[in-house]
Amino acid sequence: MVEAVIEVDSLVKQYEKLRAVDGISFEVYEGEVFAFLGPNGAGKTTTVEILECIRPITSGNAKVFGYDVSKNDDVREIKKRIGVLPQDFSALDKLTVKENIDLIGDMYAKHLDIMEVIKLLDLEDKTNEKFDKLSGGLKQRVGVAAALVSDPKLVFLDEPTTGLDPKARREVWSVIQNLRKLDKTVFLTTHYMEEAQILADRIAIIDKGKIVLIGSPQELISEHGGLKVLVIRKADNRLLDILQKKYDQVKSGNNGDIEIKIDNVSELWQVMSTLTEMKVKNDIEIQTPTIEDVFLKIVGGRITEEGELKQ
Amino acid sequence: MRVVTVFKAVTKNWMRSRSGLFFSILFPILLLLVFGLIFSGIGGSSSYTIFVQNLDRNPSDNSPTQFSAAFIEALNNTKTFAIKDVPSDANATTFARDALGPLGGSIRILVISKGFQDDMFNGTFKVRVGISYSTLNLTYYNYFMQYMDPVQRATFEQGLVQLQQFNESLPYSRTSLTIMTDPSDQSGAIVQSIIASIANAFNYQLIGAENVIQFNQTSVTSKRLTTVDYYVPGITAAFIMTNGIIALTANTTEFRRRGIIKRLSLTPLTKMDWILGNVLSQTLLNLMLTGLMIALGWVIFNVRIIPDALTILMIFLGSVMFSGIGMVLSGFIKDVEAASAIGNAIAFPMMFLSGTYFPLELMPSYIQMVSKALPLTYFSDGLRYSMLYQYPEGVYTNMAIVAVLAAVFLVLGAFVTRWKEK
Repeated sequence: MVEAVIEVDSLVKQYEKLRAVDGISFEVYEGEVFAFLGPNGAGKTTTVEILECIRPITSGNAKVFGYDVSKNDDVREIKKRIGVLPQDFSALDKLTVKENIDLIGDMYAKHLDIMEVIKLLDLEDKTNEKFDKLSGGLKQRVGVAAALVSDPKLVFLDEPTTGLDPKARREVWSVIQNLRKLDKTVFLTTHYMEEAQILADRIAIIDKGKIVLIGSPQELISEHGGLKVLVIRKADNRLLDILQKKYDQVKSGNNGDIEIKIDNVSELWQVMSTLTEMKVKNDIEIQTPTIEDVFLKIVGGRITEEGELKQ
Repeated sequence: MRVVTVFKAVTKNWMRSRSGLFFSILFPILLLLVFGLIFSGIGGSSSYTIFVQNLDRNPSDNSPTQFSAAFIEALNNTKTFAIKDVPSDANATTFARDALGPLGGSIRILVISKGFQDDMFNGTFKVRVGISYSTLNLTYYNYFMQYMDPVQRATFEQGLVQLQQFNESLPYSRTSLTIMTDPSDQSGAIVQSIIASIANAFNYQLIGAENVIQFNQTSVTSKRLTTVDYYVPGITAAFIMTNGIIALTANTTEFRRRGIIKRLSLTPLTKMDWILGNVLSQTLLNLMLTGLMIALGWVIFNVRIIPDALTILMIFLGSVMFSGIGMVLSGFIKDVEAASAIGNAIAFPMMFLSGTYFPLELMPSYIQMVSKALPLTYFSDGLRYSMLYQYPEGVYTNMAIVAVLAAVFLVLGAFVTRWKEK
């Protein structure tokens, strides 16, 4: 039986007019990477900051390691046990990478060897570099290092790759994937579909303060992602006509592509044998649905690079 | 322990920031240098330039009259003035302006008008008659009258009346010295009062009066102090104030805006430890500033300040008080620009209304009232007493007030500093 590290029950956060978190309930289990996926303003950071004990709750219950986030004595215990990379992480500009990590480490009764953490995040070259001289990706890595320095069991990463270029984003992803090997429980928030799909064991899709869907990426995709699609590149209209007569879900895509939705393996074989008979030499590709398709179907929109929801 | 960690981190961060160093250490030192050079006379002559036009000349050879020449000589003997002669046929204002040039400083002109010597004789005579009359009048009614018979009395009283009438018939002639100064000239009043006192000395000598009151000039302090000594505690106090109210407020607001305070609040660090770490850092910075100011004073201006334990305690309490105010302000203000604007708006008037640069005695009484409500007044007074006068009784009262205010602002600062989001 895997233990729940975080238990949230009917959590509500009400601002004057805005209900930022609208009665959500979920659990995060020991050792998993759990992702909150949703657009800006969906309530991701609010929920995470409630769990980190820096935001009071309006109603409902939230427990971390069994401690209640709204009890002062419990807050002390929670803060000892968690590591956090806050949204828009920043550190003291004129302190070096090592000094900044050390500063956070010294706030705990005991912490890991600083150089060990620096090595873990591949920051050795930058050990004595001032924080304000670092690139965005390196700054985020320092932030992750600071989140890990107290050797916490539970790590919160609030939008760890927002604003990073693709290369830096992939570097941070590999750091997060390494955390799994260190037996950490990770609570990740993101508005990048790919990030959630690649990193998370379980994803909660959150919109307007409510969890609309929760489950492993595979579950979500197979239940809500729709059918696989066979794409025939740069085909002519004659082929399209023939295929449309034989199969139901055939349509023309971009650049003369033909897209055929596939229900199951036998249907795939049928289509393939038809193509073989016709001696079709075009490139083909099988596209599997992604979390993005799930999101589009459930929430009815896409999230832009900046995190805004587009209907 | 965490206090020490915070203290080390914010101190290091500050020491490595160039603009922080400039405003907190270098700027005060530059200011001390400027004040020091102005008031110690190292930078040039300390005398006031004054243009003198002597119109009182002998008709025969156009040479200055004896009295007017003596007056100018007396001015010169004060060693306070650099006297420039204006030809008697020139327009004094135009001449002075041309001589000084566009950047030459303030224009001060003394015109000795024609008839100065004659007026002086006449005036002296009138004064002597007046003194004689009032002396006779007084002694007659108080002493002589009772020994006189009615006829003698009548004669004497008649004489008194005639003397009085004669005195009144003598012309008044007191306007023969004209001093013209620029209203914006800060030394104008000083120049006028020096000239007036010379004129008074002349008056007394002319009527043969002795100086009844003699001035013995000594300093009230146990050591011999220079003018720069006065500025060292003043400037130090003023910048300990700005370090707390402007620099710390802006820094803390910036830390909050960038999420550094949030990052620290996510650890077991408590709010009070964070505040105390910052206060300690300010104290160290201010002790360094004080040390540098005193050292600079020793080397360049030969000041004689030796800081004692009371001075160090005073600086500690002042640092706590002003960083407490800084913490209160940064608890309210979200925007960094607003933080430095509000910090400046509080700090600068306080700097000038607390007697740190100009002695309060020279200010109007309502400003003196206002100054009693400003924390800097008590801090700079206390610092001055402990650094300059070795006068512990003066230190204790001010120190007690500063200590109470420090406690109040520290508690208030802790109260308004947010350690949680909304």
